[in-house]
Amino acid sequence: MDRLLITGIAGGQGRLVARRVADDYQVSGVDRAPWEGHPSQIAVHTMDLRKKKFEDIFRRERPAAVVHLAFVRHFRADPRVRHEINVAGTKRLLECCAQYAVKKLVVLSSSYVYGALPESSYYMDEETALNVSRHYPDVRDLAELDMLCTAFLWKYPEIATTILRPVNTLGHYVHSAIGAYLKMRYVPTVLGFNPMLQFVHEEDVAEAIARTLEAGLRGVFNLAGPGAVPLKVAIRETGGTAVPLPEIAIRGALKRLFRLGLFHLPSAAVDFVKYPCTVDGRRFCRAAGFAPLFTLEEIFSSVRR
Amino acid sequence: MATTIRNRTQRSERGTARGGAARRVRRLPRPAGAAFGPTLTLDGGEPYGSDTPAHSLETLSSVAGGILESLAPRFLRDLNHEIRGRLAASPIELNAYGYDPWGFNPDVARRVLLISALLYRYYFRVQTHGIENLPDGRMLVIGNHAGQIAIDALMIGTATVLEADPPRVLRGMGEYWLPTVPFVNVLMARTGGVVGTPRNCIEILEHEEAVIAFPEGVRGMTKPFRQRYQLQEFGYGFMRLALQTGTPIVPVAVVGSEEQAPSLGNFMPLARLLGMPAFPLVVTPFPYPVRYHISFGEPMDFRGNPNDEDDAIGKKVARVRARIHEMLQAGLRRRRSIFL
Repeated sequence: MDRLLITGIAGGQGRLVARRVADDYQVSGVDRAPWEGHPSQIAVHTMDLRKKKFEDIFRRERPAAVVHLAFVRHFRADPRVRHEINVAGTKRLLECCAQYAVKKLVVLSSSYVYGALPESSYYMDEETALNVSRHYPDVRDLAELDMLCTAFLWKYPEIATTILRPVNTLGHYVHSAIGAYLKMRYVPTVLGFNPMLQFVHEEDVAEAIARTLEAGLRGVFNLAGPGAVPLKVAIRETGGTAVPLPEIAIRGALKRLFRLGLFHLPSAAVDFVKYPCTVDGRRFCRAAGFAPLFTLEEIFSSVRR
Repeated sequence: MATTIRNRTQRSERGTARGGAARRVRRLPRPAGAAFGPTLTLDGGEPYGSDTPAHSLETLSSVAGGILESLAPRFLRDLNHEIRGRLAASPIELNAYGYDPWGFNPDVARRVLLISALLYRYYFRVQTHGIENLPDGRMLVIGNHAGQIAIDALMIGTATVLEADPPRVLRGMGEYWLPTVPFVNVLMARTGGVVGTPRNCIEILEHEEAVIAFPEGVRGMTKPFRQRYQLQEFGYGFMRLALQTGTPIVPVAVVGSEEQAPSLGNFMPLARLLGMPAFPLVVTPFPYPVRYHISFGEPMDFRGNPNDEDDAIGKKVARVRARIHEMLQAGLRRRRSIFL
């Protein structure tokens, strides 16, 4: 059985992927946080990607495949640390993959890299420019790491590198900003805006990663879920109440709360509940024979309050 | 109470009609677990009931809407019913929540159409010719643009819903700044509009839907009264998209729009100051009740390389422009009065 290394294994998505592929691979994982009660056949190393010892795992275990999930997507930490983990950490991992002859690499990027802009097409394909930093510089590291991996994909044709860009991921285990937002009792929305949002279930993301490994895909793929609904429908279906507020008030409040460290979301994130950031996921469905198992209704009920 | 019963009966009748084989909208089954609370409204409001406070508020507002609607005159209720039926018969795919992939929603579209249908029937008293020329599947409806505000687009869109068989919802291609305008962006999406990027247009055509475009753009819409019924220069973008997607072009000529709000000229300095494409000097506070004549021509098929140089594309565009010009002249000859 081939060895598979999962970075960020203790996170919600990491655990789901580990469980999903545990029968096909000899799985080991790295994470800064420990995974209490992990299955006994999975080896978990509690370690930081940026530490020198990280390379030892590659030397010792010689993984044939790597799934890279070790990203900081929240804003609770120092932005410099965030950038370092996301960009320098990824760079480090890519170097290891090249040096220790890894055959397959799957990176879980995000559809947010395209940005939510008023003039974006509704169903952006994988060739769309990564525009997120135009209005949302706080997450430019997400676009940077995506591009690092894309460059790696072309530089090492012998490694089957795949970059997946899933849409808003919801579910029981994954902690995401959009999940936390939808779980609120009263959900502030931007007055006069109600964009279409796509959702995908966390289990479908794990399934997509497993399929990618199975098929040995190579390329950049959007991962869209079963469909799109307006934001307010999503809020209603997850059991919340939309509270439309003027944009100025929301942005002002977020800016102040963020600066004071009381709320961990930059004001630029508002764009994602103002304009659609919807992607065309057909390329992945064709290449991997993938079809989302979870319907929108099931996705919403998985996070219903 | 009597109204309640009547409303419920109508509701169930519609229910059976909808289930018939003639129904072309592919609607997924409603999500499991959603309660089908009977509501009093004719329009149904939100499709699912629930018992959270927000939902009881919604129920309350839909009850209020139902009472208002039962007070409405009979012709209005009939018109509402007719539009609902026609929208349900249009070949648009909706998801389980009643939205298409671009955010079109028949409930919202119906409300807008109710107003535009009143204008269509009783204010502009539109006469539509050649609606049977609309092909099945994808099409690009290309028309002349005039009258300072885009009532012509609204009337063409209303005609294809009210008169065509099957009814067609025309998808408008909006300017890039429209999505930034509060409320307008939502209304645009719910009634079938999208931002006018080439990719959006291609996707929608490949979905076998109908797109409407005015290649004259603002040049046509804001031209002064003395240039009425003189077609301005056409943009070439629509032809490249038609060639790329193999879409037939349906030429449409609108007679009447030019007289709805005559403009004496264009005050460019003020337009530049306000950041607007034009500032027409209009003397009327509201559009005159001119009579509209809309004629749909036979579909035109074009073959060729969508990336051809402008000269080659221009020749094809000129054929469409000439066709619309002919149809306009014929319409003007046929018209006996501007208002009657």
